[in-house]
Amino acid sequence: MTRYKKQDPELTRRKFINAAMGGAAAIGTLSLISTLGGAKPVFRLTPALAPPMEGDVLVHADPSRYGEPVKVSDLGLQLVRAWPQGKDKNGSPVIRDQDPTSVLAIFKYPAGQIQAPTNMEGTIDGQIVAYGDRCQHAGCNVGNNDQKPGLMNCPCHSGQYDPKLGGKVIGGPPPAPLAQLPIKLDGDKIVATGFFLSKPYGFNTEDDWTKYTAQVKELLS
Amino acid sequence: MNQWLDERLHISRLNDKFLRKAFPVHHSFFLGEITLFSLIVLIITGILLALSYEPSNSLVVNSFDPGTADKVNYIPAAYHSALKINAMPFGDMLRRVHHWMANIMVAAAVIHMMRIYFTGAFKKPREINWWIGMLLLIFAALTAVTGYILPYDNYAYQTVGVVYAITKSVPWVGDWASQAAFAGQFPGAGIIPRIYGYHIMLLPGILLALTGAHLLIMIKQKHTQPQYAKRLAYKKIVGVPLLTQQTPIMLLLALLFTGIVLLFAAFIPVHPVEVFGAPSSTPIPNIKPDWYLLWVFGALAIIPSFDFQILGGTIGAEFVGAMVFPGIVIGLMFAVPMLDISKENNYYAENPTDHPVRLAAGTAFMAFMLTLSLAGYKPDLIQGGVLTTANANAVLWILVFVVPALTYFATVGIVRLIRALREADERDAAAHSAQLSHSAADD
Repeated sequence: MTRYKKQDPELTRRKFINAAMGGAAAIGTLSLISTLGGAKPVFRLTPALAPPMEGDVLVHADPSRYGEPVKVSDLGLQLVRAWPQGKDKNGSPVIRDQDPTSVLAIFKYPAGQIQAPTNMEGTIDGQIVAYGDRCQHAGCNVGNNDQKPGLMNCPCHSGQYDPKLGGKVIGGPPPAPLAQLPIKLDGDKIVATGFFLSKPYGFNTEDDWTKYTAQVKELLS
Repeated sequence: MNQWLDERLHISRLNDKFLRKAFPVHHSFFLGEITLFSLIVLIITGILLALSYEPSNSLVVNSFDPGTADKVNYIPAAYHSALKINAMPFGDMLRRVHHWMANIMVAAAVIHMMRIYFTGAFKKPREINWWIGMLLLIFAALTAVTGYILPYDNYAYQTVGVVYAITKSVPWVGDWASQAAFAGQFPGAGIIPRIYGYHIMLLPGILLALTGAHLLIMIKQKHTQPQYAKRLAYKKIVGVPLLTQQTPIMLLLALLFTGIVLLFAAFIPVHPVEVFGAPSSTPIPNIKPDWYLLWVFGALAIIPSFDFQILGGTIGAEFVGAMVFPGIVIGLMFAVPMLDISKENNYYAENPTDHPVRLAAGTAFMAFMLTLSLAGYKPDLIQGGVLTTANANAVLWILVFVVPALTYFATVGIVRLIRALREADERDAAAHSAQLSHSAADD
């Protein structure tokens, strides 16, 4: 007969080691994840990164004529690729070519061909129309349709658009029409009269786009 | 020297445990080795390329074509260094060898997997190595994709744009994930250093670790034995030992293989960066990914557009075509060992015709991937007049389902024919030998 009963310790060695390992793993993983915070850099809006906006002059994007203002005589059924040119704080011109979303495609059609849902006020005489040239599907630059002049074809996943009908999707996987840029003629230069009328590639909803344009206005005015 | 080493490193124990590993004598067992040799050559050529490559997308003056004083020709430093590599002695050759080896590594890995699948070598106890092999395939493809972004020519620029878009298309977390992965909004100022880090540090590290595990498990579990081993010595390991018989064969194969790749790298140019030019907003007509990603590309080309919101996240054609659908396909490949529910360990490579359903499912799967890859040529088919814009999607969708189904039934039919012929042969042989013994008894 023993006077002392062997008592289990409150914490067995096994339990302690398991809890300690679990705790160390949790803390270690969390601290490693925190280093991922440095992976995503902060976005700072500069004039060169801004989207096309009111008063921007459209200039050629083609390397051979880079920076020359686009003239009406350059335009036709084959698209002309252009960048918006705005002004920085000191008033010197700056081509907004740092964000690929800003690149534009400009077409000129015979009168009467451009129809709704194109915004007719955003065109020049119902003949010249400009769109954001990044495909709404994966953001590739959209080119000409080689078979049918005046239509657009994305080389990446076969997205097809009709610029005469507001950049409507007429084939392939893109989820939304191309974003139209309202333009007017100022002397012999083509000038934007506002932001894209609908969301360009890279924004999930129209709401995100309106919020972004409000932010751009505030930061760059 | 052996004794000197043995006294210090106990080489004899290593010899007994690893260096005596028996290799089966059959040429199809060299496919894995070719994959390994390609990886080794890739690492060597990769190190040499890294010595001359400049991982930066900051703009520098193009020293080959500086432009004029008022119109300086700026190009990204990474692209400039790719041009410089091409200009150095054997530089272009080095790039070609690296490129060809990458393609051959994936090809050899795929054929190696086909061998494993069709002979039932994925069965218990080798399921873990099938899964590690799948991870190797996925990481090899990721390494290849990051690799062809590095020259940062227009082709790479358009490619990385699509890769960014695919990452971004993930609902809820896509925006954050794509910016974290590619150093900010496309094309962030740090995109090339980031991808360089992936391509030369992170991904090769993962590949080497997985390859090590793959080989160690293979040595521990032994190869499956070819069928002749069953007749020769049942449940015994048959083959040639790593030292000294397999090693010279391996070395010969490695050198011969490298020599052949070098030879056609000398004559077949790849990815001419000068032709594609510096990154620009001009799209490249008929741009396509490498052949092993063409099936995803094809799926994206024929998937119709759709887009819906769920709990604040957007699910679109891009996400479904480039993430969900390949996820299902890769998931199916991961699940292959689950198809076999036997508790027995599998020692012998099986004759594919003894497993007609598995064989037919495998060929149908390959037909499916090939048809989807064909769908990747949709614009070319339309341009060539084979299909029209109006019927292309419908025709390709029908082919994607009909061709694998036909392949399945054709394979089952051919296997039945083969087995019927084989059984007839056996009957003949049996009758013949019975007749022979009969006539022998008569004498």
